[in-house]
Amino acid sequence: MSNTLKTYIAAVRATLTAAMCLENFASQHVERHNKPEVEARATPEVLLTPVVISRNENEKVLIEGSVNSVRVSIKIKQADEIERILCHKFTRFMMMRAESFVILRRKPVEGYDISFLITNFHTEQMYKHKLVDFIIQFMEEVDKEISEMKISLNARARIVAESYLLQFP
Amino acid sequence: MPTATPDVHQILWGVPVTCYAFNHDNTKVAVSADSIDVQIWARRNGAWEVESVLSQHDKLVTGVDWSAATNMIVSVSQDLNAYVWQHELSTGNWKHAMVALRTNRAATCVKWSPLGNKFAAGTGAKSICICYYDESQDLWKASHNKKHITSTVLSVDWHPDNVLIACGAADMKTRVLSAYIKSIDPKSGNPVWGDKLPLDQLCAEYKSNGWVHGVAFSPSGASVAWVAHDSTLNVSTSKDSFVTVKTGNLPLLSLLFISEDRIVAAGHDCVPYLFERRASSWELVNKLDQGPKRSVAANSAMLKFKQMDSRAQANADTELNSYHQNTITHIRPYAGAATNITHFVTGGVDGKLVVWEL
Repeated sequence: MSNTLKTYIAAVRATLTAAMCLENFASQHVERHNKPEVEARATPEVLLTPVVISRNENEKVLIEGSVNSVRVSIKIKQADEIERILCHKFTRFMMMRAESFVILRRKPVEGYDISFLITNFHTEQMYKHKLVDFIIQFMEEVDKEISEMKISLNARARIVAESYLLQFP
Repeated sequence: MPTATPDVHQILWGVPVTCYAFNHDNTKVAVSADSIDVQIWARRNGAWEVESVLSQHDKLVTGVDWSAATNMIVSVSQDLNAYVWQHELSTGNWKHAMVALRTNRAATCVKWSPLGNKFAAGTGAKSICICYYDESQDLWKASHNKKHITSTVLSVDWHPDNVLIACGAADMKTRVLSAYIKSIDPKSGNPVWGDKLPLDQLCAEYKSNGWVHGVAFSPSGASVAWVAHDSTLNVSTSKDSFVTVKTGNLPLLSLLFISEDRIVAAGHDCVPYLFERRASSWELVNKLDQGPKRSVAANSAMLKFKQMDSRAQANADTELNSYHQNTITHIRPYAGAATNITHFVTGGVDGKLVVWEL
């Protein structure tokens, strides 16, 4: 299982490094405006072809690039109902605090669980290679987090059920 | 190959050098520090200090150029304006003259012509403004090259004959256009690019697979080269064909002919690369940045554990093994004749200006 993870992560890392070559680009559509072109989508020639990297049908990453911004959307593995609920709550927690996250998008792209929007202003303030490292680390750890939460949830449910049923002879 | 370590000038902290231009003897540099002002830095006693601040623009200054011939500075900005600044010797101040570019989108880049009597400003309005000084009306006028360009202009460069310009745009094409101004240019033709050259005449058009970030003419004007977002360097010596050098690296943003047969280019990889002409084609010769020599300190093991304790980081190596820590945006000549440049300077998003010796 882990041998597909390595190649998957390597592919995402290479694509992200290439997609994060951003530069300041004033809007060609509206004067005096400077918008992330991947969100505005007003100028087709500055948008790059979106790339989807899938590990399997349940886990994939969509990378949409443009001249001044890149949008990375991740679909997290959710095997059953419990994991679906946990994932939803986990990503919602983060997305509600998107402002302090800086690169997080408030709403995920359709079909995905969480999205990042990185603009040229972010790559000017932060190291590009560390931004890529952060996203890769996030992808690797979110699966672990959700499994941990599920295990502790099941443990608590078992303890509660046991102590409730103990009162019946 | 560079034998000396490059001269690193960290003039800005936490802010990119958006664009810069040195004066003719490299004692001063005009810099746009990701701001609406142009700062003029001068070297005093070995350190760089801000000598003057030119503030007239309302939005980010995207292009700055300092003419060696006339000592005038031109600055263009995303506020759709350009200003020409002249130094007054009596007061030491810079006097500005607004240039009405008559454009309705941001200006992206600017270059003085070799003689310093015209400048070309690329804009997001899919045009290039060729501006010249009208003596009779005492103001700077602009003519537009807009017939052939179909997207934002990303870079311009002048041909040594002061008439032709090369431009790279976001429509992935490089064009050689004529910037002939009837009132100030003598009638001229060009053996490579064409004889009859009215304004906005398209002399050549080349297609790439990526946005064209940088263009340059060779010192004689016989070749034109450009770098595109598909990580290639392309060189052409005729109207129809061109040679492509595919690099396996991140895209290059800027290039410079250091002689007729050698090009230095740099970009998102944060290091400059050297390309050379071999017979009829070009190839990537070398990376010119081998990285600063890290001193193998005796207490590096202690430093590692300190980092693990204070920052919970097992691997504290956030720095790249190169002089620039972020994308290099512009390469400009620093010293040497146009046919044999000995030093060049690179400015980057990390706020550094690094002078390299060849």
